[in-house]
Amino acid sequence: MNKHVKNLAPETTDLSRRSFLVGTAATGLVLGYAGSGIDQALAAPAPANFEPSVWYAIAPDGLVTVTCGKADMGQHVASTMAQIVAEELGANWKDMRVQLASNDPKFNDPVLGAQITGGSWSTMMNFDAMSRAGAAGRIALTEAAAASMGVPAGELVVRDSKISHPKSKKSMSFAEVVKSGKATKTFTADDLKAIKLKSPDQYTMIGVSVPQLDIPLKVNGTAKYGIDVMLPGMVYGALVTPPVRYGATVKSVDDSAAKKVPGFIKAVTLDDKTTTTTGWVVAVANTYANAKKAAAALKIDYDGGPNAKLSSESLLTEAKRLQGLSDSGQFFVKDGDPNAAFGTAAKVLEAEYTTNINIHAPMEPMNATAEFKGDILHIYSGNQFATRSGAIAAGAAGIDPKFVVMHQMWLGGGFGRRLDADMMVPAVQAAKAVGKPVKVIYTRENDMTMDFSRPLTYQKVKAGVDGDGKLVALSHDVVSAWPTQRWGIPDFLSPSVDKKGPLDAFTVNGSDFFYTVPNHYVRAIKNEMAHNATPSGQLRSVAPGWTFWAVESMVDEIAHATGKDPALLRVELLDGKGKNDGGAQRLRNTLLAAMGLAGYGTKKLPKGEGMGVACVSSQERATASWTACVAHVAVAPSGEVTVKKLTVATDVGTQVNPDGIRAQVEGAALWGMSLALFEKATLKDGGIEQTNFDSYTPLRMSQLPEVAVNVIANGEKATGVGEPAVTVVAPAIGNAVFNAVGARVRGLPITAEAVKAAMKA
Amino acid sequence: MPNLNINGRNMSVEAASDTPLLWVIREQLQMTGTKFGCGAGLCGACTVHLNGEAVRSCQTSLADAVGKKITTIEGLSAKGEHPLQKAWVAEQVPQCGYCQSGQIMQAAALLSKNTNPTKEEVVAHMDGNLCRCMTYSRIQKAIMRAASDMRTASATGSERRAT
Repeated sequence: MNKHVKNLAPETTDLSRRSFLVGTAATGLVLGYAGSGIDQALAAPAPANFEPSVWYAIAPDGLVTVTCGKADMGQHVASTMAQIVAEELGANWKDMRVQLASNDPKFNDPVLGAQITGGSWSTMMNFDAMSRAGAAGRIALTEAAAASMGVPAGELVVRDSKISHPKSKKSMSFAEVVKSGKATKTFTADDLKAIKLKSPDQYTMIGVSVPQLDIPLKVNGTAKYGIDVMLPGMVYGALVTPPVRYGATVKSVDDSAAKKVPGFIKAVTLDDKTTTTTGWVVAVANTYANAKKAAAALKIDYDGGPNAKLSSESLLTEAKRLQGLSDSGQFFVKDGDPNAAFGTAAKVLEAEYTTNINIHAPMEPMNATAEFKGDILHIYSGNQFATRSGAIAAGAAGIDPKFVVMHQMWLGGGFGRRLDADMMVPAVQAAKAVGKPVKVIYTRENDMTMDFSRPLTYQKVKAGVDGDGKLVALSHDVVSAWPTQRWGIPDFLSPSVDKKGPLDAFTVNGSDFFYTVPNHYVRAIKNEMAHNATPSGQLRSVAPGWTFWAVESMVDEIAHATGKDPALLRVELLDGKGKNDGGAQRLRNTLLAAMGLAGYGTKKLPKGEGMGVACVSSQERATASWTACVAHVAVAPSGEVTVKKLTVATDVGTQVNPDGIRAQVEGAALWGMSLALFEKATLKDGGIEQTNFDSYTPLRMSQLPEVAVNVIANGEKATGVGEPAVTVVAPAIGNAVFNAVGARVRGLPITAEAVKAAMKA
Repeated sequence: MPNLNINGRNMSVEAASDTPLLWVIREQLQMTGTKFGCGAGLCGACTVHLNGEAVRSCQTSLADAVGKKITTIEGLSAKGEHPLQKAWVAEQVPQCGYCQSGQIMQAAALLSKNTNPTKEEVVAHMDGNLCRCMTYSRIQKAIMRAASDMRTASATGSERRAT
């Protein structure tokens, strides 16, 4: 598993000296960690090893406002955090409100020690902290109410924002307790740890599909995204990005024609010492329309740099070369000795699997607004990684990160794209150059061609089967750019098992599956050429989006080579032996649930139709949501694939909001389908060729299949749902195509041409 | 200075006549419910009504909008209670929500003419509106729910008039 980080930023250590606070401030009851001013005055003596949590406040009118430290990009995580707090606090859902946190380290994730949203981690990593925060509030309110009523606290019942004493029929609302000013109680770290939380049978809020708190704002146009920020005196920046994705430099800028555009202020050539961007110019003007006109009028001469001749083909050729070297890469898994086992195996299968470059393309194009006010740089943007993005903004400004305030907004889609901070650089440097707040908005063309994309990947898998048809050896090489290494944060890397230095586990997660294979190697190989030419990012589901494409296709190939049913072979491999005990059984059960729901093997399908299965432990071994899919497809003689139905089962342990989970799983499954069939980007002459939704074509409504979702909540700890279902769909579709027409396609996306070619082969 | 009739109000704006209506609405009038998505008429995030027809405001010039009735998400109903908006909440449609103003405006143009659309008519009418969160099935359900509510309301209204 990956060892995730704590204390990314030095200031996070300050939190160990903070104490959980329940006290009445002028504005109402505040729960959280004392930082300064009035809060500090109420704080208790310093407890040791204290883990941070988020704040919430109860106003004198009884409204409970939860501050969410996670980026809300449509997964309704703010609402989820509020729901977990409300369960233990005993608040009525109609009293709950949410707001989005700034980059103040007090809002850091309690497990990750930073403000970063990804990995489908948020619910699992914040569940305990939010529960304890909620419970602490209930205890403080109850004790205050007991004192006011003159009854023992142990006899009080808390429900629906009300504290009642059944014996005397006395009761007080949360609002009344807050107004009384008597709720003052401080919790040390040990006090918090000692709180006995509810057992699942006592839940009245967790497991209920309460309405998501952000939805009303999103049907009437009032939700504010980064692109909607308006500041007094603000001007606009439009980008000119070079024809080469990375490595170009600006030789000269001729702004003589731009100067004729009304409202034009200045062309700013970025001097990006953070190396996030290369060769970018911002045209600044009084309106965005004028900024765009000015940008179009700039005449810029570039040096294309070292990557200007590279293409997708060159990246793939390089990947194959690297894979062929015996000493390249580092080992992620090294069990037994597959090479020896291949020598004695009855049958050896070998296959290459590829995925093309993919673009995030959230509907809200990248943007950021920067304003220098006194010593402070204010950034307004929807971002998934405030801790790092604030530091990049500081680097672009040439100031210390502690002087940057990040104002979080709703994200018009994230999908991993907003983990990156490139948009900070033009906004900051333009604001500095013109002495005014500047909002920089990417055109869709900027957004697509400068994406931190899912990298092109190449995988070679070799499998050995013994005389009984048992899988005895598997070696798996994964060659890609290393998106997480690019962040430059050593704590996000993992040690290699062959002790050849750290590797980027976010390129190989998933390959350490729960099947029992006695001899198993996984090698992570960095494609330096791709890494430099196409700076890659984390695209919804990250590595399991390609590793399971290879593994789950190969398992299918093994089934056919050994005459076994592909689903039943998986059941056999999920025997729960050794290190796979526990997880393997959960995944097996999930697979069986999906098979049952889909009617797998129970009906004869018409000619040209087929069903395929896949099952995954995404995102990481230690954070898995057990997910299985049965895809039902129809394949035309032309090779065109129509997905008739996707049946997805997922074991999430505990579900906070069942309807929200279904929405995420369905969205994730459709992402998986879109990546499997419709989305492909290509590099040519160092640049991404696709520029808008005419050439990069995510799934539209007319391509929507039937989707059946089965969520298994068995009382285990809550896991994540934003990504895992993405990773199970492509192999399920590929396997279904094989089942339908006997065509094995090993490259994503699966095109009609590739299917037709494989049908003939 | 050109005058725009937007959400029932006349407002004067200052911009070149070739300026896309989208940016006039967002920046000058500071109505930010209408979104920028692609700038090329390929995604539908910027959909508004021009004399009741759904149009892409990124492809509509200020000059084209003068003299016509413009409706944005902010003006679809006085209190955000258009049947589609209520249905969008009931079906919990939005995820990130960014495309949803455009989706609702596109759907409203359909239901203003046809409160009993088939699924195929809905798909044909909505296929130009991208949703990257892939909320399509809920969008379909919400449109059908709103259509049904509108038919019920109109039937009730007719009965009242009849009696």
